[in-house]
Amino acid sequence: MTFKELIKKIFFIEIIGGLALTLKHSLSPAVTRQYPEKRITPPPGARGLHALTRNESTGEAVCVGCGLCAAMCPTNCISIYTSEGEDHKKIVDRYEVNTLRCLFCALCVEACPYGAVLLTPHFEYSGYSRSEFIYTKDRLLENWDKYMGGAKSREYFDKFWTPKSADFARVDAKGSESGVNQ
Amino acid sequence: MNNSDTTLQNDNGTKRKVMTLNLGPQHPATHGVLRLVLELDGETVVKCTPDIGYLHRGVEKHIEHLNYLQVIPHTDRLDYIAAMANNIGYCIAVERLFGIEAPERAQYIRTMLAELTRIVSHLLWLGTHALDIGAMTVFLYCFREREKIQVLYEKLCGARLTVSYPRIGGVKRDVDAEWLDELYRFTEEFPTRVEEYETLIDQNRIWLKRTKGIGVISAEEAINLGLSGPTLRGSGVPYDVRKFMPYGVYDKLKWEVPTGVNGDIYDRYRVRMEEFRQSNSIIRQCIEKMPSGPIMADAPKFVLPPKDKVLNNMEQLIHHFVLITKGPATAPQGEIYVATEVPKGELGFYIVSDGSGKPYRLRIRPPSFVHISALPKLCEGGLVADVIANIGSIDIVLGECDR
Repeated sequence: MTFKELIKKIFFIEIIGGLALTLKHSLSPAVTRQYPEKRITPPPGARGLHALTRNESTGEAVCVGCGLCAAMCPTNCISIYTSEGEDHKKIVDRYEVNTLRCLFCALCVEACPYGAVLLTPHFEYSGYSRSEFIYTKDRLLENWDKYMGGAKSREYFDKFWTPKSADFARVDAKGSESGVNQ
Repeated sequence: MNNSDTTLQNDNGTKRKVMTLNLGPQHPATHGVLRLVLELDGETVVKCTPDIGYLHRGVEKHIEHLNYLQVIPHTDRLDYIAAMANNIGYCIAVERLFGIEAPERAQYIRTMLAELTRIVSHLLWLGTHALDIGAMTVFLYCFREREKIQVLYEKLCGARLTVSYPRIGGVKRDVDAEWLDELYRFTEEFPTRVEEYETLIDQNRIWLKRTKGIGVISAEEAINLGLSGPTLRGSGVPYDVRKFMPYGVYDKLKWEVPTGVNGDIYDRYRVRMEEFRQSNSIIRQCIEKMPSGPIMADAPKFVLPPKDKVLNNMEQLIHHFVLITKGPATAPQGEIYVATEVPKGELGFYIVSDGSGKPYRLRIRPPSFVHISALPKLCEGGLVADVIANIGSIDIVLGECDR
């Protein structure tokens, strides 16, 4: 042990350094957020509770019942029941999301060709029974009214409904229709 | 488990019994649900038997029923504190199997985020490891920085922990200049934060007493046990997948592989502290060199088509439906093993493809599983209190160990 080390050991130099640091930080403003009292707004695109897009002109759900979201879901938490209506049109009778199974991976949003399903930034929801967490079509449309719609949803589909043409080299280089004859 | 029947001989010829102690699975210092069956002679550990499997979810079998695109969210849940690194490892493995390559910008984004994940993972490791050994302040400081990175994640992809951000053939979403600026500001500040952690514990006499010369593992033993990552490099073996089998853009950047000398807990801690600085430097280089360009590979058979073309172009619509309902059904047959360097070590994905859209078999080689097998070697002959320090020093997470 050198003389310097001995001095350090006797006078607790490294302990004093640590204590000085904690003292410095105890005087600086706290970084802790007092969550339930002070709420933070999640950034746009945060993956929270599900919603079904409402067509602004007709007031109906945009969903056509193709079932791609249910096929893509890694946990099979989406179930869709359809029937045949007038003119052999496909009608979505039931669209249910079991949020207890959901991974919130947003692959359903990626799978939907219409932008009919999306994840809202709302994340604080609770309930007293399991059945409350199975969101039916009406409740999902309600979520859209509450947490999405208007400019917020336009931003969402603009930024978070990916991939877009600009993400691919090919579409930029040879024009939009070069996907033919692959 | 019943009390052990092992007996030891006293000096005067009488015999004494060994006590069996269960450590875990609900012990907060076992970093998850690890159970250790310890046989103790006083305070000395005679035998240590790790008991794993409390977090077994059968994910490897489950993946056989999912197509290649659907697997990504499940890889989040392997090493859940470094989800991005797992996603990237899986995507690189599948891309090599398919014979496609992500564009350069996507490679840079991935490399940058993999290093950011390394920082997150090491921050959580340092915080909890110090907490186990008895230094609580470090834990609070580490979580302050960790929160900043998680806010960055949330802005980028909408999730804080289970990111599911990379995609096969690229990444989900492009990074914008604003986000990169925020990350750059973080990297400017971060080295001073690392110095703060070092001020608190690096020379602290209690920390040194708890870590120096404890849990020693020689380079040869470490290699024989199959250790990887900082746990191996702490023993002085400069093995790093990023250097030896470069992926992403690691070969285009300047960085070093920090190594230890003695292979004790302190050296493993030093290696990770140096990795903070190296990762920070890699992130800065990535931001500075970030090229512009596409972020998705031009491979319509394997990559989802652009959303604005799906309903306007028949081929794109067909690709979209086939990819989602059947998976990349033109995947080549064969098998591939791809290893990537995740924060904890070498994470390997071994994929057997039978040409359908789903992997025929996907075997995950998690670093934590291998590291736990080194625990008996580290703990036996030591004290009970050092068992906790040893668990912390090999940096395990049970989500990927039990799978």
